[in-house]
Parts: sequence; C-alpha cells; structure tokens
Amino acid sequence: MSNLQLEIKQMIIEILDLEDIEPDEIIDDEPLFVDGLGLDSIDALEIGLALQKRYGIKLKADSEDTREHFASVNALAVLIESQRTS
Amino acid sequence: MSRLLSLADWLNTAPAGTIAYTANSSVSKSDLESRILHWINVLPAKRGQRWALYHQDSAEFLAMLLALWQLGCTACVPGDDRPATRERLRLQVQGFVADFLDDVVHSKQGSAADNDGARIAWQTLSKDFPALEIYTSGSTGEPKAIQKTVAQLDSELMALEALWPTDHEAVVISTATHQHFYGLIFRLLWPLARGQRFETEQWQYTEDLFSRGLRYPSFALVSTPSHLGRFNTAVAWAEVADRCCSVLSSAAPLKQKDSVQVAQLLQAPVREIYGSSETGAIAWRQQSNSGDEPWQALPGVQLSQTDNALLLVTADQLAGNAFEMSDQVEFIAEGLFHLRGRVDRIVKVEGKRVSLTEVERIVQQSNLVEQAKALTLNRKRVEVALVIELTEAGEQLLSLSGKRKLQQQLKQHLQNFFEPVLLPRRWRFVQQMPYNAQGKLPMDNLQAMFISQEVKWPDLTSQVMTGNCAELVCQIPANLIYFDGHFAGNPILPGIVQVHWAEHYGRQLLSLVGRFDRLEVVKFQQVIFPESTINLTLEYQPEKGKLNFRFYSDKGVHSSGRICFS
Repeated sequence: MSNLQLEIKQMIIEILDLEDIEPDEIIDDEPLFVDGLGLDSIDALEIGLALQKRYGIKLKADSEDTREHFASVNALAVLIESQRTS
Repeated sequence: MSRLLSLADWLNTAPAGTIAYTANSSVSKSDLESRILHWINVLPAKRGQRWALYHQDSAEFLAMLLALWQLGCTACVPGDDRPATRERLRLQVQGFVADFLDDVVHSKQGSAADNDGARIAWQTLSKDFPALEIYTSGSTGEPKAIQKTVAQLDSELMALEALWPTDHEAVVISTATHQHFYGLIFRLLWPLARGQRFETEQWQYTEDLFSRGLRYPSFALVSTPSHLGRFNTAVAWAEVADRCCSVLSSAAPLKQKDSVQVAQLLQAPVREIYGSSETGAIAWRQQSNSGDEPWQALPGVQLSQTDNALLLVTADQLAGNAFEMSDQVEFIAEGLFHLRGRVDRIVKVEGKRVSLTEVERIVQQSNLVEQAKALTLNRKRVEVALVIELTEAGEQLLSLSGKRKLQQQLKQHLQNFFEPVLLPRRWRFVQQMPYNAQGKLPMDNLQAMFISQEVKWPDLTSQVMTGNCAELVCQIPANLIYFDGHFAGNPILPGIVQVHWAEHYGRQLLSLVGRFDRLEVVKFQQVIFPESTINLTLEYQPEKGKLNFRFYSDKGVHSSGRICFS
C-alpha cells in the first residue's frame, strides 16, 4: 500500500466519521459506494469537499467523470496524482 | 391574476415551445406529446387502474405520468426502486411503467412525428381524479399511502404561486429527485403549471450546479439541506450569482449558517419550505443572521395547535380536512411558529423520513437478531444507529467473523428496504439492552453507548518481549466499549474480547501470521472487572501456528487458552 493510498483511507475514515474500520481493511480497488465499503451519496459530497480542501482538487462539472474518480481508493489516488503533476 | 395553468387541462392549454432542458439539448411540448402518445400506445392500462411509476429522467417521467392520467390511471410514485419497494407495490398496482424502459424506449425512436401539425384533443381531467399516490413512513412502521387529487395538487400550486409569483423565466436546476413529493412539486409540477422551464437531470455536486447555472440567463435552484449544507465555497460562485433568482430548500430544516452562506454565495433569497407528503407545503421562512426565524403559513393554509402542542393544518390542498402533524410547535403569533421536535418515532435523516420502528422491524427479521433498538445520532451528520441483542446464530457469527462482517450482513438485508443514507452507520452489539432500574429503556442510555470515544483496547503500562514470548501489563479502562450492556450494572470483560486482544497483540508484537482457525483448551476462570490491572502472557509457536495466552493477576488466572491459525 503506497503512502497516498493510506492517506486517502485515513482521510475517508476521518471525514466520514466511520466506525469499526481500520485503513488496512479498505481495499484499494474495491468499490467505495454501494458494494464494498458501502458509502452513500452524502459521503460522496463530503469526499468531494475534502478533496478540494486537502488537495485543491476541483471536480469537473460532469457527474459521470466524478463517479469514475470516486469508484475506489485507487481511482482517487489517480485523480490526486494527475492534479499534482498537471 | 394568475398565469398558473391547471394540471387538469395542461396539455390543451400550455403553449408550444421548450418546456425542459436535458444535459445538452431541450425538450419541447411536442416532444413531450409524442412521448405521451408513445406511452399511451404501449401501456396496456385501463381506466381506474393504478400503475407504479419510476424513471430518473424528469421529462420521461412526466410523459409517463401524463400518459397514465390520459388513460385514467392513478400514478403510484415510490421514493425509490429498491427490491422491497417493488415487491410491496407489486401487490397493489397493475404494473410498473419503469419496467418497460429498456426494451421499448430505444426501439421506438423513429415514431416521434405521429402528431405533426395536427392538434391532439387531450382529455381534461376531472378535479376529483385521483392523480397520484405517494408513500411515506407511517408511525406503525409500514409505509403509508397518500392520495392526491388533481384539485389538491392545483391548490397547493396556487398557494405557492400566490406567495412567489415572479421569476417564471428562471430555469429550474435541482439536486432533489422528482420521485419524492417535494421534488415532484417544486422541480416538475409547479414549473409545468407556470410555464417555467426545468432541467430533466438531477445533479449531485455543487460543481454541477455551477456549470449548469452558467448555461442560462437566469435560474432557480431547488435543493435540500443535505446539499446546501455541503456547498463547495471554493467554486467561483460570483460568476453565476447574478443569474440566480432564488434557492428553495425543503425536506428538513436548513441550518442557519448554511442558509446564510448559500444566500451570500448566490446572492439570492434562500426559501425554506416546511410540509409533509400528507399536507404538501404548508409554511415557509427565509433565515437571516438574526436569530431563530419562525415559520410562516403559506397563503390559504390555516394553522392551529392541539392540546399537546401538535401542529394542526387546514387547507384547500387537504380537501378541506384538518391534518394533525407529528411536530410539536410553539406559536408566537397568528400563523407564525417555531418547530419543537417530533413526538413519534419517525425521524428525518438527511431529509429522508424514516420510521425507527420500521428499521427495528426489518432488522429483526434477520435470524441473527433477537432484539433491536434504533435511534438517531447527531454527529457530523444525522445518522441511524442500532443497538442489537443477537441470537445465538448472531453471537456465533460475531465471534467467528467479527463485528464488521456481521454489520455488513445486516446492512445487506436492510439495503433491500431502505435508501443508502438511511442505513445504520453505527452498531452496538450487547448481551442485554441497557434497561434502567425501573426496567425501562431510556433513550439517554442508548445514546450514551455512542457518545464516548471508542475505547477498544487496554492501556498498556508495560510490555516485555523475549523471543516468541510477550509479557504485557494491562490497565482495563472502565469506559471500554465492551462493558456496554455486558452487563447492565455489573460490567465484566467479555471472554471473546480477551481472545481478540490476545490475537491482536500476538500479531502486533510477535509477527504472528495466518488466519484465525479455532480455539483450544480455553478456560475462563475468573471474571475481569473495570479498572483492574491484569497481566497478559503470550507465547507464539510459529511452527505449529499456535498462540498460547494467559490473563492473570494477583487474584490468580482469569483466563487461558490457545488460538490456532491456518
């Protein structure tokens, strides 16, 4: 598990106030929503805000695109990396 | 003078032209009409029947709705299309309009020109036609059906129009679904009746709202506290602020700071609507920096209160009947009031209404659950929590697979019945509910189980490692979560926790590997009380994949055993 992935998992647990789960229990490529971690639409809003605050990431106004970026920890990592380098 | 068209005759009286916008295109009245004709042709519906209706796209939903009305059918509009919702509706309706989607819609694209030129003579609906049936959580736990006639819908729209008669040119952008009554009225039927254009998509992120807002010379936002409370302030709102006419919020009270912030960012009034599925919109307010703004009755709505301070509503949209809300209120003047909380077990979670009785009833269907108590917690968000006494099967699953697996399994069951935001986010599994000395189960006792910082581990005051052995001295905190309800008034450390700790420190300190397989020669000899000091000896046998543990103190051995790993 890379540092960024771990960081994202810690962020998710913290901002969503999740209980009974440790970072290493979140699987990098498992879906965050519905199946897998079972997050909901409100969680998605919170993650969007946290990405803005912590990484300065602006979501593109295209929900389809956002949905892909939010699919898993790995997808979030790719999003953060791409905005860092660009 | 009102420009409002009656829903009874909208198809005959509305002018031609654009009525809605999709993501990249627009929908005209004649586009809508050809979709209505299409649905009239394909639906095997008969007058007087009831049909369930679910579709994500507001224009298509509208076409289906108006087609059903033309066919003389009541549209039953569920809030979601979860399996349990469908199952429940299946017994009550003739069919599902959403079911036809995939096979019909795509194959019929060429048929749009049927009604070219010729004006179609649409049926005018009678005022008492039962146009809609919607569902809400009843206090018994079972969803409650509410019927609305055309006249009721019309009079609710007239009350809104009387209060806010302007901004007809603003395009309605929304984060709310039309499958819920609030969204149905505010983003679909009211715009329709007043000739206001609306967007057919429901948006999720504020970034979406921003870019949609930029497309129109003026727009109105229809949203909820869930979204308005999570507005991304880093977006350049100033660029769209002068296009925004108004913001509507309903489903739950909006926090004052959120209301003020959105009003500032969008430079527009934030109007809050108070109401219910049963009554429709009945009051409104616009918050400012100055204190707790009272609610104010909508035009044509008469409000009073019962002896136990419940709000009593009389209005045309209720067909003249009085309706007793479950909210307690405090009147400060005629038609002006503050909300003081609900009296039943129905709660709002992120604007969605849910009966805690229903949550308990559904989770108790599981063979893992003996008894369940549901409550809401006000943490970062309002969330549902469950305190559960497990059956033997439940206890077994808990000890074999852990709390998370158990939660997941129960959540999976609940998922069939409830929308994601209503699913419990916090769980306590107890041996016994925290009854008080009078044998009652006070809400405070349940709440208390979730308040404390989660304490799951002992305080280690010393740890010494020698080879494959570890010697720990543990202070047992009294606020350990495992003492919750184990047992009320007589807390002792559960045996399973001792095994879990042994395994945890084995993995952490002795590089133990493998999966938990079974226990051998486990003995629990003396109970462990809060605040006691206990030694833990661990001895790992890597070649056998076994970990010996022993909890002891000056009182002797508390427990011992062997955990086998595979």
